[in-house]
Amino acid sequence: MTGDAPREQTYDRRMLEALVCPQTQAPLSFDAERLELVSKAAHLAYPIRNGIPVMLIDEARQLD
Amino acid sequence: MTDDSQKTTHFGNQTIPEDEKAGRVHGVFTSVASRYDVMNDVMSVGIHRLWKDAMMDWLAPRSGQRLLDVAGGTGDIAFRFLTRAPGASAVVCDMTESMLVSGRKRAEAESMADRLDWVVGDAMALPFEAASFDVYTISFGIRNVTRPQEALNEAFRVLKPGGRLMVLEFSQLPVPAMQWAYDRYSYNVIPRMGQAFAGDRDSYQYLVESIRQFPDQDTFAGMVREAGFEQVKYRNLSMGIAALHSGWKI
Repeated sequence: MTGDAPREQTYDRRMLEALVCPQTQAPLSFDAERLELVSKAAHLAYPIRNGIPVMLIDEARQLD
Repeated sequence: MTDDSQKTTHFGNQTIPEDEKAGRVHGVFTSVASRYDVMNDVMSVGIHRLWKDAMMDWLAPRSGQRLLDVAGGTGDIAFRFLTRAPGASAVVCDMTESMLVSGRKRAEAESMADRLDWVVGDAMALPFEAASFDVYTISFGIRNVTRPQEALNEAFRVLKPGGRLMVLEFSQLPVPAMQWAYDRYSYNVIPRMGQAFAGDRDSYQYLVESIRQFPDQDTFAGMVREAGFEQVKYRNLSMGIAALHSGWKI
């Protein structure tokens, strides 16, 4: 499984850039450390789990 | 502001508060995710494969197109699209994470990985920019959306001008006697088959009821127009057990 990781990384990157916040439709910034997509406008952070971004408002972490 | 707590929607034959539907649909699909292909076979006696091929025939995928397949679950539609158009790319978007995880494990997903993205998202609030796709498909998904009209509006938003919507969904038989016979089959046979093949009667019961609650062909075509689509047309499949709806964003 570890052999797949590099390819997944590059292909994730392109996809992440195409995503917007489902609440505000504003662009997102990628937090590589927490593996989250951050919507500053909505104060929400969307998790990336198993390499799949989870773009649901209900699943997002509320930012202060 | 309207009082959301009083809004209700269908969950199969039950009327439930709107804000409960997504969670309950999620429960159904989480419970069937790994056996979803089996479920489709049970529901349509295997004919869903022919319907999906009919969908591709009408869509005529072309190289260079970017597809958004919503409620795309295990990737069935995206794989077909990309097989027909080797130069196309696709995003599979589904509310249910476990469906995407099983889809990504399929052999086709491996061979098409560089043209295929997987995103958990809500059809009523898509995480994509306006005018970013050439084709939007939703196959056996829109009847599970809490407010289907909002999903159609979102489809219109994310399509480019000149983009195409295509919806495949169970529908209503135009001949009452046949609808009667089909209802008998649906209500009596399918939940038992669900129990027998997937060990899950309740989820199949929901699926049968949700099919019967879904608007008929002309009503749904009206909703597609309402979202802004033009040249709205539908084709019945297997005499109306399912229907394909097509619309263009001009």
